[in-house]
Amino acid sequence: MKKKNLILIAVIAVVIVLTISLIGSYNGLVDKSESVVEKQSEISVQLQRRADLIPNFVESIKGYTNYEQETLTAVTEARAALAKTNNPQEQADASAQLDGAINVWANAITEAYPELKANEQYIGLQDELAGTENRISHARTQYNEVAKKYNSEIKKFPRSLIAGLFGFEPFEYFLPSTGAEKVPQVNFE
Amino acid sequence: MKKRILSIAAILLLIFSLCSCETKEKALKPTEKFFVNDFANVIDEADENDIYSRAVALQETTTAQVVVVTVEDLNGQEPSVFATNLANEWQLGTDEKDNGILILLASEDREIFIAVGRGLEGALPDSKTGRIIDRYGIEYLRADDFSTGLTSITKAIINETYIEYGLSAEEGYIPINQLPQTDNSSYGGKVAASWGAMIVCLIVFFLIFGKRGGMMLLLLGGRGGYHGGFGGGFGSGKGGGFGGFSGGGGSFGGGGAGRGF
Repeated sequence: MKKKNLILIAVIAVVIVLTISLIGSYNGLVDKSESVVEKQSEISVQLQRRADLIPNFVESIKGYTNYEQETLTAVTEARAALAKTNNPQEQADASAQLDGAINVWANAITEAYPELKANEQYIGLQDELAGTENRISHARTQYNEVAKKYNSEIKKFPRSLIAGLFGFEPFEYFLPSTGAEKVPQVNFE
Repeated sequence: MKKRILSIAAILLLIFSLCSCETKEKALKPTEKFFVNDFANVIDEADENDIYSRAVALQETTTAQVVVVTVEDLNGQEPSVFATNLANEWQLGTDEKDNGILILLASEDREIFIAVGRGLEGALPDSKTGRIIDRYGIEYLRADDFSTGLTSITKAIINETYIEYGLSAEEGYIPINQLPQTDNSSYGGKVAASWGAMIVCLIVFFLIFGKRGGMMLLLLGGRGGYHGGFGGGFGSGKGGGFGGFSGGGGSFGGGGAGRGF
């Protein structure tokens, strides 16, 4: 009788310990996945910041140069495409497209109007765009770091069991999107 | 025998120097002076003391940390990446306010980058930071007078920070937005036009994205606070042996501006 009681107590103790560690692991995974999502939204914020800066940039140059409107079509289209995206990878690709378009346009214009390069407002907007670029790449690096932590966590035993049980999916890493290697360091020459 | 000892000593020396080189590349540690870290040895002593005392005064009144770092080269990294990572590693600025600034000069790569902590991005947007370099320092830097250029840029950054905190700037400093424009061809009209475009764009943005867009914008506006907690708690331990100053847990998101010269 006494022995049976002891076994029962032991079993209950083990169950309690397991439950507590299960809850702990579960909560830990939730925290980690939230921090990945947070980084993801940081990237979106910065992409949006850039998309918002671009009309500014375009306006300032247009006023200065009366440069033909048609050349702007690619920029406008790329911007519209970016607004329609709904997942991070699409967003990144569209954003890279927009970068390319704006860069082509800006280069054409500064070739036609070299004096623009000495214009403080133009330089200022270039700085803002370059700064946004830096923020985006910083946010992407950080995203990959937290995603890596989370992904390895859900693959390791015993958390892999919990992850499987509650359907924790790995996050995709952010890879440079097509055309991103061409991304525009803003030129001052 | 003597020769052998000598050669062993030489080998040991080589190994040691290799080791120290490697660790130096891995982690650049702040010097005793903390606010001035002249690793490339390009700043005069007088300028170094000048920058130091101004930076100390700034921290004492505002808690903001402006730190100057010179290196010879960037190990092939982008100036912005190098500066932002170093600033995050040293955790410049306080944990709550993220009010650190790192002024990085690479003497052989001929690059300067000013990394601005998240909390000061409003006071020193990238365009203004770039303009400070152009107005106060680039000429000196091009002429290889790194010491004067850095001092002049640092003074401007420190003064702009004072102004941000509602304090008066040092005597004789003219705020950058009160300097005359170098190129003022129909400037006003363009500013108005771009503000108009900005507002239209915001409205469109709200219409398209609705509530989610609004949240994004709020995030954009309140980023300083949102990310404040990053990596806090590490900085406090290492202050002891140095000159008494160390980073306070501030974080950097890649903001700032730079120039090659």
